[in-house]
Amino acid sequence: MQTRPKIIGTAAKRLEDPRLLTGHGSYVDDKTPAGTLHVAFRRSDQSHATILSIDCSEALKMPGVVAVLTARDLEGLVKPVVATSKMRDYHATPIYPLARDKVRYVGEPVVAIVAESRYLAEDALEGIAIEFDTLPNVVDPEQAAAPDAPLLHEDAGTNVIVRREFLRGDVDLAMAAAAIRVNRRFRFHRKTPMAIETRTYLAEYDQGRKSLQLHTTSQIPGIIRDVLTDILDLPTVRVVAPDVGGGFGGKASVYQEEILVCILARKLGRPVKWTGDRLEDLSSTSQGFDEIVEAELGLDEQGRILALTAEVVGDIGAYSIYPWTAGLEPVQVVSFLPGPYRVAHYRGRVRAVATSKPPTGPYRGVGRPTSTFVMERLMDMAAQKLGLDPREIRLLNFVSQEEFPYKTASGIVWDRSGFTECLTSACAAFDYEGQRAAQAVARAAGRWVGIGIASYAELTGIGSRISASPGMPINTGTETATLKIDSTGAVTAAFGVASHGQGLETTLAQVVAEELGARLAAVTIIHGDSAAVPHGTGTYASRSAVLAGGAATLAARALREKVERMSAHLLGVTAAEVMVADGFAFVPGSDKKISFRELAKAVYSEVGRIPAEARESLEETKLYDPFFGTTTCSTHVTQVEIDPETYVIKVQRYQVAEDCGRIINPLIVAGQVHGAVAQGIGAALFEEMVYDEMGQLLTASLVDYLVPTAVEIPSIGVSHLDTESPSTVGGFRGMGEGGTIGAPAAIANAVADALNHLNILIDELPVTPERIFQLIKNKEK
Amino acid sequence: MPSWKKDCPCSRANEFMKPAQFEYLRAASIAEAVAALSAQAGEGKIIAGGQSLVPMLNFRLLKPLLLIDIMGIAELKFLEETPGGGLRIGALTKHHTLETSPLVKRLFPVLSEAMSHVAHLAIRNRGTIGGSLSHADPAAELPLMAVLLDARIRTASPEGGRTIAAADLFVAALTTRLLESEIIVEVELPALAPATGWAFEEVSRRAGDFALAAVGVLLAVEKGKVSSASIAMMGVAETPLRAARAEALIKGRAIDASLLDELVTAVRDACEPNTDLHASADYRRHLVGVLARRAVIAAWKRALGEQP
Ligand SMILES: Cc1cc2nc3c(=O)[nH]c(=O)nc-3n(C[C@H](O)[C@H](O)[C@H](O)COP(=O)(O)OP(=O)(O)OC[C@H]3O[C@@H](n4cnc5c(N)ncnc54)[C@H](O)[C@@H]3O)c2cc1C
Repeated sequence: MQTRPKIIGTAAKRLEDPRLLTGHGSYVDDKTPAGTLHVAFRRSDQSHATILSIDCSEALKMPGVVAVLTARDLEGLVKPVVATSKMRDYHATPIYPLARDKVRYVGEPVVAIVAESRYLAEDALEGIAIEFDTLPNVVDPEQAAAPDAPLLHEDAGTNVIVRREFLRGDVDLAMAAAAIRVNRRFRFHRKTPMAIETRTYLAEYDQGRKSLQLHTTSQIPGIIRDVLTDILDLPTVRVVAPDVGGGFGGKASVYQEEILVCILARKLGRPVKWTGDRLEDLSSTSQGFDEIVEAELGLDEQGRILALTAEVVGDIGAYSIYPWTAGLEPVQVVSFLPGPYRVAHYRGRVRAVATSKPPTGPYRGVGRPTSTFVMERLMDMAAQKLGLDPREIRLLNFVSQEEFPYKTASGIVWDRSGFTECLTSACAAFDYEGQRAAQAVARAAGRWVGIGIASYAELTGIGSRISASPGMPINTGTETATLKIDSTGAVTAAFGVASHGQGLETTLAQVVAEELGARLAAVTIIHGDSAAVPHGTGTYASRSAVLAGGAATLAARALREKVERMSAHLLGVTAAEVMVADGFAFVPGSDKKISFRELAKAVYSEVGRIPAEARESLEETKLYDPFFGTTTCSTHVTQVEIDPETYVIKVQRYQVAEDCGRIINPLIVAGQVHGAVAQGIGAALFEEMVYDEMGQLLTASLVDYLVPTAVEIPSIGVSHLDTESPSTVGGFRGMGEGGTIGAPAAIANAVADALNHLNILIDELPVTPERIFQLIKNKEK
Repeated sequence: MPSWKKDCPCSRANEFMKPAQFEYLRAASIAEAVAALSAQAGEGKIIAGGQSLVPMLNFRLLKPLLLIDIMGIAELKFLEETPGGGLRIGALTKHHTLETSPLVKRLFPVLSEAMSHVAHLAIRNRGTIGGSLSHADPAAELPLMAVLLDARIRTASPEGGRTIAAADLFVAALTTRLLESEIIVEVELPALAPATGWAFEEVSRRAGDFALAAVGVLLAVEKGKVSSASIAMMGVAETPLRAARAEALIKGRAIDASLLDELVTAVRDACEPNTDLHASADYRRHLVGVLARRAVIAAWKRALGEQP
């Protein structure tokens, strides 16, 4: 029996790369329709202040200026965006396109200047005078959480925007009974997603049809379409995310500038564009992390976990971001903290606190980089106390194969997944024993060499039964695929996802090609266009391979059956005898064969060749919803060396073993891991958004906000565990974020290991030469 | 042959100009540049490689009315050995040239070594020595090298020009003694004593970042003792500094562990570091001592003909 060629699992080169790498990509900023007007923003230079007056008269007189707008000019033109939630103890914070009455962070847009060119708009910024009356600082999240703290949002009545607790078992009793207890106050500083392409929006309004089209650098065009239709009260809106140069979560929310260009295009009847510059990106794109976690782990004398407690304060910045809400990041720190371990007794409390800094939002890994950092540090601290190897204490506590599906202390369910296998495989590829022996030799010679392990589990491909963000009322659990063979025989597959670096034009084409029986290069993937499918929310939360891959599988299978039925008529056999592969329908063992092109011609044009009552359109739409989602896990092992005099940290070895289920394309999986680990190394060693006590941004350029370059990133080994997920169509698990989750913890553990002889603990990231210097100096005192 | 062009780059004029408006003059000679600068009476600005100036224009920290581009001035482009074994370096000499030139490697290996720490290849390929010295960043390698190597900076101005010793050029961060209408035309490095040992040590956050601290050392050794020493450091004060006390300390002595301890103290005492986002004053002071010790050891070894 002949089998169809395997396309899923092959290392196909990315189909989008020839276009993107030769400069033929088409990004939002590449589009400038005739008559486009350009926007520049006057942004707040105060972190918390009342707007007393705004004088735009000088700006209005400047050459090329078409309009100068403040919040007052927008009254009645737009409703505020409000991120609602089903969570109790949650306070939404309305977001207006321009600051109204008061400003809440440095960088918040206050005045928009519309001009014939960006240059002229920038010039006119100097013609605006704003009078502020400063309000008390709301910069420190712990102070802002105090009952008598000055309020950022008076209507909320508190700065504590979300409050939540997870509780299982009798924590206090179990903790009291623990033979070994380790605890610490951990700090993970704020960072920014830093995509190379800055946020850019172009709105066009068709006066005749009363329809709006927005080109946007967005990961979530479907969600943007839905919200714009609502707040602008428009009958039709089309939102297109063309080629997008990276997102990492920073392009997964609705933005003030994005709404504003739409209002302006409608009001002025001309296309309106805003292209963020790097300073605007640093000061107004949603930021990540920024948590303080006080956690304690209790274990028995063998090293088995008995109890875990955590108090988390998340600094969420000025607004509860749409659609995710302020719960997204900090709540997931608490819900994922127990990690891949058996934790019988758990109490995790979280407060998400508003401060006068830019809003935080989704950032690659969401919550889990912090929860993994904390849990994996605690595991190493416990191992140290017990005299156990870090590998052994993990093996002792992992949820084992017999226990899957395992419900964690916070209610997350792990389906069958290779926690132990990832650790074993990563250590084998790293040559853990050999490297430990080499470390001992190096340390004896006075070198500060450290090895760190981090294991974690994450929920990916989340279906409709859980929200991608706790309590969010938007369904992020469904994806749609529409597959067509048109009258030329060409195959197009349209999705609601929005690839922005993930290579989905390749991986989804691989799924469609194999399941349908088409040639890979003949499949065109349409994504990032709200008009392509009726519903779709985009690309985030490691969901696209699972959800869109699942929908593609279902639609392709159904379409293949149509191809078989239609071809059967033409080949004079039954549908069961027809096989489809490589763009042909054929009868194995015979010379009966018809190409998609011939088939399409017969179906659509050569009326009569197929009986009228049997003719079907070669088209199929399927929804896919994995209901709960699936588990992805991974272990990272790394070796660092610290210069004992300068404290410069070098990452020398890095190994990842990950279980992303059935692999669609190993090349793309490795690429996603490499990129995410690089980002995690950035979070561990370099990247930090620094605000002073007045809420002023100090890291306002790439001279001061340090992203790692190729020189700082070691070669990264990746071992794949191909264990098909039992819970998803196709067996795929999501994997786009993972590297960023494991790397900060692994590096922190390696640095701590290297400094072990000094009795110094690493509890703050990023860890920098300066921080190590201070730790050592304070120890010496 | 089809008559259409293979590539049709779209015009993006007028879209992303961040700087305030300015006029532009491409000068053909030193005289023309100086005259134009002088005529602007403070409202003109020389642009060479643009690697420091353009960011400041884009942030609108500077709003000159006229940019005078000197990159086309042939008389500023040269690099030649002087009869005594020194170097004459034209103001437009690129960082990349200083890093890779065999002449520089032979006569001033410390300079080519230091230049490999300047930014990234793309920037080294445009940035010029005249620009770097005029810009006077306290953590830039070329000002440090100028101070270390006792460079003499030749200028042109409406008055005719003069020669300034590197030690006198730098006044404060981003501030030199150059007058409003004065431009750097040449940098002269006097020859080193034969078999001078040298070393350059730097710590920066990432490869290519401005230094947190750096130290350059030149040592000449006679009969097993230091006969002359030059120790310069940067990143630890408003301008690059010579560690005069440390130089005096090691003169006439052989380098050993206890002398190195004294040297480290002398170097640390000589600097006045600032605290910024990347390093505290205390850490910088600590670093400069560590780097000075390493550099002096390496230079000493080189002077003795050993591998550092
Ligand atoms: C990302 C980045 C990283 C960098 N990292 C480093 C680093 O690690 N180390 C380092 O040393 N530098 C670094 N630089 C700066 C770089 O070395 C600059 O090239 C150099 O400082 C300026 O030289 P330029 O020719 O580009 O000068 P320009 O930018 O053209 O001019 C700089 C200033 O000098 C003036 N000027 C230029 N030429 C003359 C002249 N002949 N006479 C009088 N005035 C003149 C200009 O008017 C201007 O004020 C970095 C730059 C960037 C963008």
